[in-house]
Amino acid sequence: MKLRLLILIFSLFISQQSLALEFEELKTKKGISFWFVKDSSLPLVSMSFSFKGGSSLDPKNKEGSTNLMVSLLDEGTENFTPNDFKLSLRENGTKISFSTEKDRIDGTFQVVSSQVQEGFWLLSESVNNPLFNPKEIEKVKKQIVASINIDQSDVQTQASEKFNKIFFKKSKLSRNIKGDLVSLKEISRKDIFQMHKLNFTKDNLVIGLAGDIDPDSAKKYVDYVFGKLPILGKKRIIPKFESLAKGEKFFEMETPQSTVIFGQRGVNRNEKDYFAVRVLNYVLGGGGFQSRLYKEIREKSGLVYSIYSYLIPLENNGVIVGGFQTRNETVNETVSKVKNEWERLKSDGITARELKDAQTYYKGSFSRNFTSTISIASLLKIVQYHNLGNDYFKKRSEIIDSLKLNEINDLASKLFEKNDLFFMIVGKRAN
Amino acid sequence: MKLTSLIFFFLLITTDAIAKKIFDAKFFELKNGLKVIVIENKRAPVVAQMIWYKFGSGVEENGKSGLAHFMEHLMFKGTKKFPDSYYSNFISRIGGSENAFTSYDYTAYYQVFPKYELEKIMQMESDRMINLTLSKENVEIEKKVILEERFQRVESDPSAKLDESMRTVLFPNHYYGRPIIGWKHEIENLSFDDVIEFYKKYYVPNNATLVLSGDVDFERVKKLTKKYFGKRRKGNALIYENVVDPNIETSVTVEMKHSTVKQKIWKKFYRVNSYKNSIKDSLALEIGLRILASGSSSVLYENLVNKKKKFSAIGGYYQGLTRGEGSVYFYAIPNEDLVLDNIEIIINKEIDQILNEGISKKRFEIEKKKFVYDSIYERDGVLNPAQAVGEAITIGIKLDDLENLNKELDNVNYIDVIEALKKFRKNKNFVIGELKN
Repeated sequence: MKLRLLILIFSLFISQQSLALEFEELKTKKGISFWFVKDSSLPLVSMSFSFKGGSSLDPKNKEGSTNLMVSLLDEGTENFTPNDFKLSLRENGTKISFSTEKDRIDGTFQVVSSQVQEGFWLLSESVNNPLFNPKEIEKVKKQIVASINIDQSDVQTQASEKFNKIFFKKSKLSRNIKGDLVSLKEISRKDIFQMHKLNFTKDNLVIGLAGDIDPDSAKKYVDYVFGKLPILGKKRIIPKFESLAKGEKFFEMETPQSTVIFGQRGVNRNEKDYFAVRVLNYVLGGGGFQSRLYKEIREKSGLVYSIYSYLIPLENNGVIVGGFQTRNETVNETVSKVKNEWERLKSDGITARELKDAQTYYKGSFSRNFTSTISIASLLKIVQYHNLGNDYFKKRSEIIDSLKLNEINDLASKLFEKNDLFFMIVGKRAN
Repeated sequence: MKLTSLIFFFLLITTDAIAKKIFDAKFFELKNGLKVIVIENKRAPVVAQMIWYKFGSGVEENGKSGLAHFMEHLMFKGTKKFPDSYYSNFISRIGGSENAFTSYDYTAYYQVFPKYELEKIMQMESDRMINLTLSKENVEIEKKVILEERFQRVESDPSAKLDESMRTVLFPNHYYGRPIIGWKHEIENLSFDDVIEFYKKYYVPNNATLVLSGDVDFERVKKLTKKYFGKRRKGNALIYENVVDPNIETSVTVEMKHSTVKQKIWKKFYRVNSYKNSIKDSLALEIGLRILASGSSSVLYENLVNKKKKFSAIGGYYQGLTRGEGSVYFYAIPNEDLVLDNIEIIINKEIDQILNEGISKKRFEIEKKKFVYDSIYERDGVLNPAQAVGEAITIGIKLDDLENLNKELDNVNYIDVIEALKKFRKNKNFVIGELKN
């Protein structure tokens, strides 16, 4: 086979004492590259893909356009009415899902291997031939309006929407993916076609594919689904923020318990310190039952049921975001405990023990990505999305092992700044 | 649109989990009554361990609601040998994940971790079945955590409060009418002694099923379970009293008005038979309800959302994997101009028409196919199969019946499904709920 020569085989590092899973870097006739793992332990094929762009491409005053377009992908195509399309998915053991993010559109596709041809046909229909019929546009708009209305009475959703709006200031990252009741009305059918054309381009696409299919068929189907898409021909620019809000903002809602979302600047995924920051966040609030926020604020004080922090790595910069819920009466106490942990991390850093535990966590947890075809596909996609390189699976362990305590703690003292934190509080003021 | 997740707050697991001799699960029982299930799958060097205790909020005494869930939280507080959060720390250090959940009929704990730590994990799980060390301080702090959990899940969510209230009407006698997390005022009064008594009485091997899924070896699991769980002493057998609810002869609409509500939502909960009553009948109802109300391809959705444009969404599903009676949940989101009171009439009329005009045989075949395909998906992963098998065994479904569910489905014919829906339509054991401003 002529293309065989182009295929490189890499080893996925799983853990110290395990089999090596192999992935192949494939290129289709129409020039689409993707990563692939053959896995026949179940008669299933799973694919995970992303188009860079997402709601950041929404025009001003037409926020929600990308999300509306994506919600219409299964609402009728050239060959299917909405109902026929959805019934065909059921009949053919096929699952297709799309979701709109601020910087991309994510898709997953799964099919039982006996129906692989039908499954890829359905996917191709929704990617290439959606009709965006006015009737369906009206229906889906109503559904999005209902979901915005539901969000408006949800304290937790309100907190995170209001947080984004203020925290990211004038950046496009501050906008709501769903748009709002006014912007939705402004979106025309033409706009929807435009968003489809803008988002779905061949050179903005990354794909991970895993399961019970041979590589030649995989290439054929990838071309069949994505090969006809246009080429954007330039690097897509994902918006960044210039500066971030600080301090505290309060929004009143009738509720006995407040939701608080907080954040400050972080790092982007390609920065060399990314893994070090990941470790710091693991110790602070990312490590589930082990994190300092969990131990201090839940386990020792009983102030919250859930408290967490996580990194959002964007293309040009990134943020550290956290959140918790507590009774209206204990909001101030909990906020000040969060600030204390921020300060402690800055001034004292983490301990040698904490570093070692985080290192063994990140090394050991990697194999959990290999337990299902969809998690394999998704891992293959994410590594490509962030341009981590085809040697990432080997490099990853080295990166983790090379982390040094003094360097991490230097970084902590530079990055974590309690006065830079922004807290969005949604609840009712306690008397 | 994933509106359902915003509407129902309690965890429901559909029966999709069940496949055609698919799990190929192996079973044995220790002398002390601990049941063990092994599902081998060597795809990745990862193991999921789950321990399912066959009691949940259902065994709580009157006035002590929330105790089973409270106990679940306290099971993470450490033992003499593995004090404080040693167990959780260990799981994290090796890159594992863990959690636990409580329902009406069961309490379950799980860990997913690299396979070479199986022995240690099993040792720690068996240790906390009997050697938990608790202080009064632990218990008091954790009570605050649980109250925050109740506030997060229920008190600050009008839709969840509506669901909770509807269940009290639907199950006036059975413990399914009492919230798993407990009533606020009763949680506040749970004591250290309540907890200790509950722990000693219920956490015994003969109340538990241990499930190991993933890269494990059956013979080794046999040896290890004997070594670590074999020494646990058998406790008193748990006897479930068969509490039956009376027929509902009044018509009840529960209304939740709240100033923050911006979207009217209509709900209807039914009490129906469960898989424990009859697997075949339940499958017929399951398939019928999927045709009628599952997802945006259902007949009700096609007629009332797409064609008549009465609602922006409508859906329903069956939860039949229960020790007691099962439930069916319906919801509808009306378009602005619709009055909530009319909804039931509109939907009933539509269902009658659908049952009259018949559902196509093709539609029936599609759902049967989907059911079988879904059982392939259920095996993709290590935790999913453990969850599906553990839950079914714990509520009292036989392993063989579970493994052969697809075969049983083959015996369900078109007429069975139509009959199941007709019977369902006549069911008067329901309650209606309205969320409004």
